[in-house]
Amino acid sequence: MLNKYTWWELVLLYLGVAVFLMFVLAPFAEAFAVSLRPLDGLFNIPYEFITDDMTFENYSIMWKSVPNLALYIWNSFFIACCVTILALICIIPAAYSFGRFTYRGRDGLLAMFLGINMVGAAVLIIPLYKLMLTLGLLNTYWSMIIPGAAFCVPTGIFLMRSYFLRIPKELEEAAYVDGASRLYTLWRVILPVALPGIMVVTIATFITAYAQQFLFALTFNSKDAYKPLPVGLYDFFGHQTVHWNELMAASLVGISPVLILYVFLQRYIVAGLTSGAVKE
Amino acid sequence: MGQLSLRAVTKSFDKAEVIKPTNLDINEGEFVVFVGPSGCGKSTMLRMIAGLEEITSGEIVIDDKVVNNLAPVKRGISMVFQSYALYPHMSVYENIAFPLRVARTPQADVDRLVSRAADVLKLNERLKHKPGELSGGQRQRVAIGRAIVREPKVFLFDEPLSNLDAALRAEMRVELKRLHGQLKNTMIYVTHDQIEAMTMADKIVVLRDGVIEQCGSPLELYHKPQNKFVAGFIGNPNMNFLPATITAISPASVTVKLNDGNECTLPVSGDCKIGDEVSVGVRPADFHSGGNIKVIPDVVERLGNETVVYANTLSGAPICIVTGGMVTMAGGKEIAVGFEGQNAHLFRADGSAFERNVNLNELELTA
Ligand SMILES: Nc1ncnc2c1ncn2[C@@H]1O[C@H](COP(=O)(O)OP(=O)(O)OP(=O)(O)O)[C@@H](O)[C@H]1O
Ligand SMILES: [Mg+2]
Repeated sequence: MLNKYTWWELVLLYLGVAVFLMFVLAPFAEAFAVSLRPLDGLFNIPYEFITDDMTFENYSIMWKSVPNLALYIWNSFFIACCVTILALICIIPAAYSFGRFTYRGRDGLLAMFLGINMVGAAVLIIPLYKLMLTLGLLNTYWSMIIPGAAFCVPTGIFLMRSYFLRIPKELEEAAYVDGASRLYTLWRVILPVALPGIMVVTIATFITAYAQQFLFALTFNSKDAYKPLPVGLYDFFGHQTVHWNELMAASLVGISPVLILYVFLQRYIVAGLTSGAVKE
Repeated sequence: MGQLSLRAVTKSFDKAEVIKPTNLDINEGEFVVFVGPSGCGKSTMLRMIAGLEEITSGEIVIDDKVVNNLAPVKRGISMVFQSYALYPHMSVYENIAFPLRVARTPQADVDRLVSRAADVLKLNERLKHKPGELSGGQRQRVAIGRAIVREPKVFLFDEPLSNLDAALRAEMRVELKRLHGQLKNTMIYVTHDQIEAMTMADKIVVLRDGVIEQCGSPLELYHKPQNKFVAGFIGNPNMNFLPATITAISPASVTVKLNDGNECTLPVSGDCKIGDEVSVGVRPADFHSGGNIKVIPDVVERLGNETVVYANTLSGAPICIVTGGMVTMAGGKEIAVGFEGQNAHLFRADGSAFERNVNLNELELTA
């Protein structure tokens, strides 16, 4: 029996999981609690997690105190979607080429892509600014979409490539023998079989795109109309007070697109679409 | 339709020459089986014929047309892969229809052709299923269906049955043979299963290290192997080789002295001289009890219809004997066996065979 544990091993395992989850989820719980309190109830001493004055009021006030909030959330979502689409358009053919063809410099190229990922966007932000300036892209959606996509591509290629590598070569050979062209095979055979992999890459890219907007938006954009949520949240910083409770409420509403997307797409990650392709 | 020739075909991967210059003619409608030990180049040969592997030099000719640079479809071949290679996201119907879809066949024709293929392969009930929901044998039939639907001139099979269990394999073997009878296409079939080779082939091609060792009908290979390798490869259990020295030569026979002192005369002819070191090849089933060769049985396998005895000669050389199922025999007790010279084969030290003076037609009539 490979997975047989004694009761105390099980208790330890669950305890470990619980501690880890606490660590990850505590900020969310705290943010939620804060979002329910009135502003003057935030700094009560001693600290109480649940208090009598909790309401969902902030979730309606926030739209009024920052009228652009809906726009910011939309911008975030829009930019992340564009980044994901643009990145996928680059990732899929590139990963297929890395996974299936042999040519000179292939492995070096792959290593270079991953190397760029290690350097990271923050280090390159000033040269990137210069580039955006030269291209006249500052203060447009593009200034956030293009660098966003660029920094998602390397990881995406790596993930997708390993998925393509797992698809048996015979599948392509069979299609070739039956007269299908490379593109037809890619479109009708490889992509459908790789769908779970594509879903994983889509989700990973979307989440990254959603999370990394802040840096690019802060640096390359100063127009209110194009601001994504992470930058837009600064509007809750008043002259005298910071509306922490509304800010938390807005943040939680802001991350909901990612959660919803995940709920819809996660079954693709689990489903084993490749079953029956080859003899096991 | 379906005449295929290889002319001085070779194949090298980097420096390694995997297929040495090879000539082979395959006639229309023939069922040809490639056999050989693992790594001898059977799959490579097949993939070169298919057009999946470029040939390094030489020519592949199908129906008088050099097809070296043609794509598989243009060559008029289709192939069934060892791993089936079905498209997991498509139904059985779409899997079989795939080559037609590629060729943009009108839907009415697709329906007609797919249902005809499904009829032949008894897959009518399964057309809506996904490959994942089928049994191994059914998947194999879908793969065959995809290959037959566009009516190729030549079929290629790469070990199509090797992953099935023994019973299903026997069943599919018969079905494939029946299919060949119905379609009458040229079929080239790779296997390392001797029984498949012997039962299905019109012509067997024995390969070793990228060289064709012999090519002929199953019984020709069985009764007149051209060298020791083919003799040892065809037939189960393998042929026994007894070292011997030539003592006398006549026009129609050669007399040899076995190392244990027994003499025997074989009706064979060929270049040789007295004193040459040779091997006498005797199939396990050609031994009979009561002779001059003393052996000590080591392991006795009783299969019911026959008994396989793994024994050692007095000098310690291993020897395998097949006798009737009812023979009682215990390990460790010496027995005497013998064989008839007319059933034995004779090989030179370099492995080449002496020509046996047997008439194949007679053998086929009596067989
Ligand atoms: N793509 C390749 N690159 C380099 N060498 C290869 C390649 N494909 C095959 N070979 C070599 O060619 C030789 C023949 O391989 P092949 O697959 O034709 O053998 P086979 O007769 O089909 O064996 P098996 O019965 O195990 O399938 C092997 O030694 C193998 O290592
Ligand atoms: Mg092989």
